[in-house]
Amino acid sequence: MAEPGAFRARLLAFAIRYGFLLLLVGLVLYFSLAAPGFANPRSAVFVLQSVAITGILALGVTTTLVVGGFDLSIGAVATSSLMLAAYSMVVLEQPAYVAVALCLLMGALVGLINGLLIVKCRIPDLLATLGMMFLLIGLQRIPTQGNSIATGMTLADGETAQGSFSAAFLWLGRHRFDLVIERLVPVPVVIFLLIALAIWLFLGFTRHGRLMYAIGSNARATALVGAPVARYKIAAYMISGVTAAIGGVLLAARLGRGDIASGNNLLLDSVAAALIGFAVLGAARPNAFGTAMGALFVGILLQGMTMLNAPYYTQDFVKGAVLVIALMFTFYLSSRRGPSMRH
Amino acid sequence: MLALHGLYKAFGANQVLRGVDLTIDAGEVVVLMGANGAGKSTLVKVLSGYHVADDGVMTLAGNAYHPVDARDAIRQGIVTVHQAIDDGVIPDLSVADNLLLDRFASRDHGLWVSARTLRREARQVAEAMGMTLDLDARVAELSVADRQLIGIARALAHSPRLLILDEPTSSLSAAEAERLFNLLDRLREQGVAILYISHRMTDIRRLADRIVCLRDGRVSGMFDQKPLDLPGAVQAMLGQTLEATAIQPVAPGPAVLELHDIVLAPGSKPVSFAVGDGEVVALTGLLGSGMEALVAMLFGQRPLSQGSLRLDGRDYAPNTVSEALARGVFLAAKDRSVNGVVADFDIADNMTLPFLKAFSTGGLLRRSRQRQAATQMIERLGIVCQSPQDAIGTLSGGNQQKVMIGRWLQAPCRLLILDEPFQGVDIGARHDIGRQIRATAKGRATLVCVSEIDEAIEIADRIIVLHEGCIAGEQYNQDIDLGVLAAQAAGHG
Amino acid sequence: MLNRLAIGLAATLTLGPALAVAQERPAPFDAPEEVSIAVVRYISTGDFFQAYLAGVEAQAEALGVELRVLDSRQDAALQADMVDQAIALGVDGIIIQHGLSESMQEAAQRAIDAGIDVVAFDVEIDNPAIPQIEQSNYLLGELALEQAAADNGDDFTAGYVYVPGIAPLDQRNAAWEDFKAAHPGVTEAAVFGTLDNPIANAVANQARAVIQANPAIDVFFAPYNEFAAGVKIAVDEMGLGEDISIYSADISTSDIAAMREPGSPWAATVATNPTVVGEVSVRTLALLMAGETIESPVIVPPTLITQDFLDDNAIDSMATLSEKMPQFAHAEVALADWLPLPAR
Repeated sequence: MAEPGAFRARLLAFAIRYGFLLLLVGLVLYFSLAAPGFANPRSAVFVLQSVAITGILALGVTTTLVVGGFDLSIGAVATSSLMLAAYSMVVLEQPAYVAVALCLLMGALVGLINGLLIVKCRIPDLLATLGMMFLLIGLQRIPTQGNSIATGMTLADGETAQGSFSAAFLWLGRHRFDLVIERLVPVPVVIFLLIALAIWLFLGFTRHGRLMYAIGSNARATALVGAPVARYKIAAYMISGVTAAIGGVLLAARLGRGDIASGNNLLLDSVAAALIGFAVLGAARPNAFGTAMGALFVGILLQGMTMLNAPYYTQDFVKGAVLVIALMFTFYLSSRRGPSMRH
Repeated sequence: MLALHGLYKAFGANQVLRGVDLTIDAGEVVVLMGANGAGKSTLVKVLSGYHVADDGVMTLAGNAYHPVDARDAIRQGIVTVHQAIDDGVIPDLSVADNLLLDRFASRDHGLWVSARTLRREARQVAEAMGMTLDLDARVAELSVADRQLIGIARALAHSPRLLILDEPTSSLSAAEAERLFNLLDRLREQGVAILYISHRMTDIRRLADRIVCLRDGRVSGMFDQKPLDLPGAVQAMLGQTLEATAIQPVAPGPAVLELHDIVLAPGSKPVSFAVGDGEVVALTGLLGSGMEALVAMLFGQRPLSQGSLRLDGRDYAPNTVSEALARGVFLAAKDRSVNGVVADFDIADNMTLPFLKAFSTGGLLRRSRQRQAATQMIERLGIVCQSPQDAIGTLSGGNQQKVMIGRWLQAPCRLLILDEPFQGVDIGARHDIGRQIRATAKGRATLVCVSEIDEAIEIADRIIVLHEGCIAGEQYNQDIDLGVLAAQAAGHG
Repeated sequence: MLNRLAIGLAATLTLGPALAVAQERPAPFDAPEEVSIAVVRYISTGDFFQAYLAGVEAQAEALGVELRVLDSRQDAALQADMVDQAIALGVDGIIIQHGLSESMQEAAQRAIDAGIDVVAFDVEIDNPAIPQIEQSNYLLGELALEQAAADNGDDFTAGYVYVPGIAPLDQRNAAWEDFKAAHPGVTEAAVFGTLDNPIANAVANQARAVIQANPAIDVFFAPYNEFAAGVKIAVDEMGLGEDISIYSADISTSDIAAMREPGSPWAATVATNPTVVGEVSVRTLALLMAGETIESPVIVPPTLITQDFLDDNAIDSMATLSEKMPQFAHAEVALADWLPLPAR
C-alpha cells in the first residue's frame, strides 16, 4: 500500500508524462463519434497534409528553441521562398530543380545571416529575427512591385511573364503515393515525416544534438567543454531557415501560384506547435517528437471542428486554449514535480 | 532573541527536521554547521517564512513567532541573505536602485522616485557598509563579490533583529571577507543576533561565538567553550572522525607543464615554475593574485602577453578551448552553476559532455555506454544518487560538484586544472574529491587553484602562494606553517 | 443607335487626353502640378488592391496631380491617424480605401472641416459630403449566384465560404441570403472561412474537411477569389473536379489560369476590374474638387466571366481579358469633357 502522498506524486508524474497524448486520443475518439467521415484513412491523411507545412516550419523553430534561441522569421522565409520559387519559374523561366535549389539556398542564407546577427553582433534573437521578418516581407514584394506572380502577368518592363509552374514542381505539392489505398499519401506529408524523423534523430540521438541542448541550458559551460557554441547556434538558425524554405516550396507547389502573403499565421501556428510539443511526454523542453505531435494535435482539432461546422473564430479560441493548457502542463505541473524531489 | 523548540518539518515521506532546539541571543554570532542534506536550508527556510513548520514552538524576543510568508518574516525582523547571489539582486538595475529596492516594495513608500533622494539614501547605505562602488553602475556589470555585498547591504536596510547569512563568503576574496567580518562585528555590538552558515574554517575561527552542528535534522553538537573545538564540531557534524589527511608528498616525475616568464598582471614581475608528472600543485592567493589570469591562459581563453608555456617539452600557446583540449589540458571551472552544470541534463549527460564523440558510433550517441561510464564514476567518487539518469538538479551541491570533477576524470589528460573545486562543498564531499584527485594523479600534472589555505593543505604535494601576480611563497606540503602562508597570501611574506 | 453612341464614346476616349489639354479646365486643375491628393488605404495585400492602386496611379498621372499613398496595413486606428497625417501634409483631396466605418467617420469629418474633399471606396462613412464609390458587392454576388442557378438548376447543395465583419463580404452575403430565400431548393450544408494567410492554403484545409463531412455538396459559393482558389485546391486534391462547381467573385491573372486548367471546378466569377475602380475613384474625387455635384453612391458595374468565355477566347491574363471584354476595361462612370483618361 502506497502512502496517499506518494500516490498523488505518481498520479502527477503520470499526468505530466501521458496527459497530453491521452488528450489527443480522447479528441480523436470524440471527433470519430461526433463527425461522420472523420475516422477513415483519407481523413487521417488530410489532417497530416494540413499540418505538413506548419509542421515542417515548427521543426525548424524547435532546433532554434533547443539552443535557447527563437526564430520569428520562419513565416516570412516560407512566403519568400514561395515567391522566389514562383519568380524563378514564371519570370526567369527556370526548371523546377533550379527553383527548389534557389529556395533552399535562400533559406540557408537567411539562417546564416540570422545566426551571425545573433552570435557576432550580439543582437537578442527575438529582435534579430523580428527585423529579418520585416525585411523579408518587404523584400519578397520588391521584384514584382507588390504583385502576385502568375503566368501572363505584366512585368515592370511591359513584357508579360511567359514561364509557368513546371509539372515536376507541382508534383511536390500534389502527387500522392499509393499506400494500401491508391493515391493516398501526398508528397508534403512524406517530406514532413522524413524531416521530423531526421530532426528527431539529430536532436535526440547524436552528439551534435546533445551539445545543442547543452548550449540551450548553459552556453558558458558548453563552451568550456570545447564545443564551438557560435557555430552550433548558427547551424540551428540555418536548419530553421532551410526547413522554412522547404515549407515555402511545398506551399508554392500546393497553391500553384505566387501569392503575396506575410506568413504570420504560418509563424504563429508553427510556434504554437513547437510550444505544445514541450508538454508531450513531460519533456518540458523543445523536442522534435513533441513538435510533430503538437502540430498533429492542432491539425486534428481544426479538421474536426471544421467538420462540425464550427466558425473560424472559435477555432482560434480553441487553438489558444490548447496552447495555454500545454504550457500549464509544462511549466506549472513540472515545477510542482521539481522541488518535492529536492528540499 | 530567537528560541526554537522541537521543530519538525517533512516533505512528503521525507522527514527533514526531527526536533530542532536552538537559541540565539542578541549580540551573538552562532555558526550553523551541517553536511549537505542535514536540514540547514530547510531550517533557514522555516525561519525566513518560506516554509511552515509541521510542529514546534518559535519565539522571537519573547513573543510567539509564526511568519505567514517571507515578507512577514522580514517585517518581524528576521532577514536572510541567501546563498544564490543572484536571488538577492536585480541585475538590470543600478546599484542605487538595488540598495533601496526593498523600500520601493514597501507600501509606506510614495509613488514617485526622486533621483536625488535616492542617491543620498543609497550613499548612506553604501557608506555604512564601507562600500566604494559607483552607485550608477548596472549590477550586471559588477563582480560576483560586489553583487554579494549588495545583497547583504539590502538585507541590512531592513534593520534586522536576527540576520541569517548562508555561505556569504563563498565568492568573496579574503580582503572582501574581512570587510564583511568587520561589518558583522559592528552589528554584533549593536545587539543584532546573527546565524551564520559556513564550512570555511577561517570564517568560523574569526567570527563564531558558538557553533551548532546539525545532523539528520537534529542538533548533534554545541560548542561554546573558547577556544572553540573545531575538530569536535566537524566530528559532530559528520557523525564520524575523519582520518587525518596527512599527505605524503610524491616526488614529481619529469616536468609536464613549464611556465617561463609569464606576466600575470600588468606591471608585475614575470612568473616561472613547473609542475611534474604525478604531482599535485596547489595555487593559492586572494582575489587579484593572478590565479584567474593564469587559468584563462592555460585554457586558451586569454592570450599570453609575455613569456612562454611548454607542455611535455613542446611549445604550448592555445587560442581556443578546443586547442587546449586537443593538447590534453582539462579544466574543471569554478562557479559550477554558471560554468559547469547543464541544468536540463541528467548525471550521465553532464558527466560525458566533453567526450560525446567517444560515446557515439556512426554519428549516433550510445546511451548505454554513457550510463556505464557514469555509473563507474559515481562509484569512484561516492556520488549519492538513485541512478545516472537522475536530473542533476536533484543532487545536493556537493554531489553536483563531484559530477563536475568526474566529468574531467572520464579521459586521461596531461594537465588537469581544478579551479576552486571545493566551492560550496561540505567537508565529507571535499575529502572524497581530494582522495580521488590524489589517487588518479599519476600520469598527469594537476594544478588546483583554491583561495582557502586549509583546502590547499588537504590536497597538494606542493603549495605556491601568489600575491598580485607574483610568487610570494612556495612550500612542500610537510610541516607547514599556516601563519606564514596566510601572511604571504596577504602580501606580508 | 446605341452602337453609334458607343463608337462616339470610344473616339472621345482615345482622343480624350489630347483634347483635354487644349480644353480649359476648371480650378484647381488649371494648374494640376500644384494639386496633391492622397489615398489612405486600409488593406493593400493582394492582387485586387494592387490593381486598384495601379488604376489610382494611372488616373492621377493622367490628371497630372501629385499622389500620396498611405497604407495602414489593416490597422483601423492607424488609418484614422493617416487621415490626420494627410490633412497635415496639406493635400487637396483624399480617397479613403476600405476601413471600418466607426474609426473613419470622425477622421473623415476632420478632413472635411479642414476644407479637403473626400471620397470613400468600399467603406460606409455615412456623411453627405462624402460620395461613396462602390463596386456593388451585392450585384457581384447576385450575378454569380444567377449563373450558379443557370448551370445547376434550382436544387443544389451548397458550401458557402464567408467571414463576417468584412464590409464587401457582408454585402455579398446579403445577396446569398436573398438568393436562398428565393430558391427554397438550395440547401446550405456548411459555412466556413478564414483570413489566416496564405488564405488559399488555410481555406483549402478547411474545405477538405467540409467536403468530407458533407459529401452531398455540389456547388461552392466562394465570393472572394482567394477563397475560391483554396476551395479549388481542396476539390482537386480530393479528385472531385467533375462533381463540384465553384462560383466566385473577383479575378486575377492566376485566377484565370486556375479557371482554365483542364477539369477545373471553378465555373464562373464575377468581377469589377479593380484598376477601373481605382480610376473611377480618382475621377470622382477630381469632379468633387472641381465643384461638381456627385450622385452618391457611384457604382462601378461588375462583369460576369465564365470558364467557357475564357476558353473560347483563349484568355490568359488580365490584359487579354480587358482586350476581349471592353466592358471590363472601362466603366462609363464619373466622366467629364475636361477630365483626361489614362492612356491605354
